[in-house]
Amino acid sequence: MSDEPKRREESAGLMEYSVENLVPFGPIHPALKEPEYFKLILEGEKIVQVIPRIGYVHRGLEKAAESRPWVQNMYMFERTCGICSFVHSLCYGQAVEGLTIYEVPRRAKYIRLIISELERIHSHLLWVGLMGHWAGFETLFMWVWNDREVVLDLVEAISGNRVHKSMNAFCGVRRDMPENMEDRIVERMKFITDRAHYYREVIDTEETMLARTENVGNKINQETAEKLCAVGPMARYVGLRHDVRLNDPYAAYDEVPFDIVTRTEGDVRALLRLRLDELVVSANMVSYAVKHLPDGPIRVKIAPIIPAGEHSAHCEAPRGEIFYYVKSTGGRTPDRVKSRQPTMANIPTALELLKGQELADLPMVLTAIDPCFGCMDRMSFLETESQKQWTWSGEQLRQYGIKHYFPERFNANSSKFKEDH
Amino acid sequence: MSENLIEQLQTYAAQSNSKVSVPRKDETFIEVDQEHIKDFISHLVNDLRILHLATMTGLDLGQNIGIVYHFFQDENTINVKSTVPKTQPTALSIVDIIPGAILYEMEIHDLFGVTFTGNPWINQKLLLPDDWPADLAPPLLKTTKPAEIRKRLHLEVERK
Repeated sequence: MSDEPKRREESAGLMEYSVENLVPFGPIHPALKEPEYFKLILEGEKIVQVIPRIGYVHRGLEKAAESRPWVQNMYMFERTCGICSFVHSLCYGQAVEGLTIYEVPRRAKYIRLIISELERIHSHLLWVGLMGHWAGFETLFMWVWNDREVVLDLVEAISGNRVHKSMNAFCGVRRDMPENMEDRIVERMKFITDRAHYYREVIDTEETMLARTENVGNKINQETAEKLCAVGPMARYVGLRHDVRLNDPYAAYDEVPFDIVTRTEGDVRALLRLRLDELVVSANMVSYAVKHLPDGPIRVKIAPIIPAGEHSAHCEAPRGEIFYYVKSTGGRTPDRVKSRQPTMANIPTALELLKGQELADLPMVLTAIDPCFGCMDRMSFLETESQKQWTWSGEQLRQYGIKHYFPERFNANSSKFKEDH
Repeated sequence: MSENLIEQLQTYAAQSNSKVSVPRKDETFIEVDQEHIKDFISHLVNDLRILHLATMTGLDLGQNIGIVYHFFQDENTINVKSTVPKTQPTALSIVDIIPGAILYEMEIHDLFGVTFTGNPWINQKLLLPDDWPADLAPPLLKTTKPAEIRKRLHLEVERK
C-alpha cells in the first residue's frame, strides 16, 4: 500500500479501526453534486460509529469577505446556499446593522418576514419531496415539487428571481412589494395549507412512508439534544422550544402572531409531521403579513463605512438557527466575518441519531436532518467483524434501503440493484 | 439582558479577574483568561443554565489568537472571549462540558491552527483539503495571503 491512501484514511479518523487491507478509493470530486463523505463503522447491519468529513465544497468565503466591501459581502454570503439564500443576507445584514445607529423601517421588516417565510415553505416542501425520493415513493416527490413551483412563482413575482432574491440591503430591502399582490398571495397560501394537510394524511397512511419512517432513528432525549447544541427542527422534534423567531424576535416576528410546532415522538416521522405543520404556520404568517403590511419607506441609506465594534446576530433559517458574527475596525471592509450554518450545528445530533440503526435506514435518517448536502454521493463501509470494506454511491445506498424494506419490488429481471461486495 | 444575569456574571467574573462589557442592551462580552475558561464555561452551563452554544469564532489579534464562545439564551447573547499566544497556540477543549462543540473546535484548529487539548478528533481534518501543506500557515491568519494558498495548492487559473 502506498503512503498516499493511508494518509487519507488517517485524516478521516480511522486510526483505531485501520486494517492492513484497506481498500483505497478515488477522491470525492467537488464537481459531483453535494459532495460529502461519511465513514461508517458497522457491526453486521448495525451502525456503530459514523465519522464525518466535510469541506469538499469549502470555498473560503470568510477569508474572501475580509477583502471585499461591506455591501458586496451581503450578496456574496447570499450565495452560500441555493435554497435558503435570503436568510443568509438577512442575518449578515442584521449583524452589521447592529453596529450602526439606524433603525430598519417597519415596512421593510414586514417584507423581510414575508420573503423569509416563503423561503421556509419552499425549503420544507423540497425536503418532503426528497424524503419521498429516498424512501422509494417517487410520486410524493413529483407532487410536492410541483406544489413548490407555486411558492417559487410568488417569490419571482416579488423579487424577480426564483432562488437568489438579492432583496436585502443594509437597513431595509431593495424592492417594494408589487401592487395588487395581496389576493394572489393569500389564495396561494390557502392552497399550500390544503396541500400540507393532505400530505399529513399521506405520510400517516401510506405504506411506504409508514415502513420507512416509523420508529426509525435512534431516539434521543431533550438533554442530549441540548448538549449537542441541536438547532431548529432537530431541537423542536424532541420537544425543546428552540426557535429564534420566538426566543429573540427579529424582522416583524414580534408583531405577527404565531406559535411554533414541537413534537415528542422522537422518530423520523415526527420530523415529517413537524415540518408539514410548520408549512401551515408559515402560510398563515405570510397571509397575515400581506394583509397588515404597513405603509412607509422601505430602506434607509447608510454610509459605506461601518463604525468599529463587534456584533453577533442569529436568525431562524428553514434548517435551524443561522449565526453571523462581524468585527469592524471602522474601515471599508470587515476585519472578520464568521458564518455558521445550521447543518454544521446539527451534524453531532445526526451522528447520535445514526448509532445502533440499520444500514438500510441511513439515507432516511441523514436526509431527515435536512442536510445542505442532501446527496452523500460516496460512502465507504468497514465491517468490524470480517474487516470487509466496500464503497457505495448514494444511489446504491438508496436502492439497498428500498430493497431491504420492499424486496418484492425488485424482481430478478427489472432489478438494477447490484451487490457490489 | 436581565439585570440579574449581568450582576451574577459580573460577580463571578470578578473572582477570576475577567472584564465584562455591555455594548448593547442584550449583548455581553466577557474576557476570560485561558486558565479559567473551563471553570467559567462550566459555571455558565451548570449553574446559570445557559446551554446553547451557537458556535465558536477564531480571531487573528496580531500577537494572539482570540477564541470567542457565543452563547444564546432567549434574547441575550453572551460572548466569552479568550486568547492564546500565536507562538504556543494550545487551548483547553470544552467538549467534556458541551459535546456539541467538537466540530467547532476542529474548525478553529483547521483555520487558525489552535490545538484543543482534550478533543478526541482534533488531529483530523474537517474543512481543509487532505493535501494542505504542513508548512503553510493556517488560512485565516492575516499573514496568509490568498495568492499564496492558490500557488501552493496549484489552484492558479491561467488567464488568456
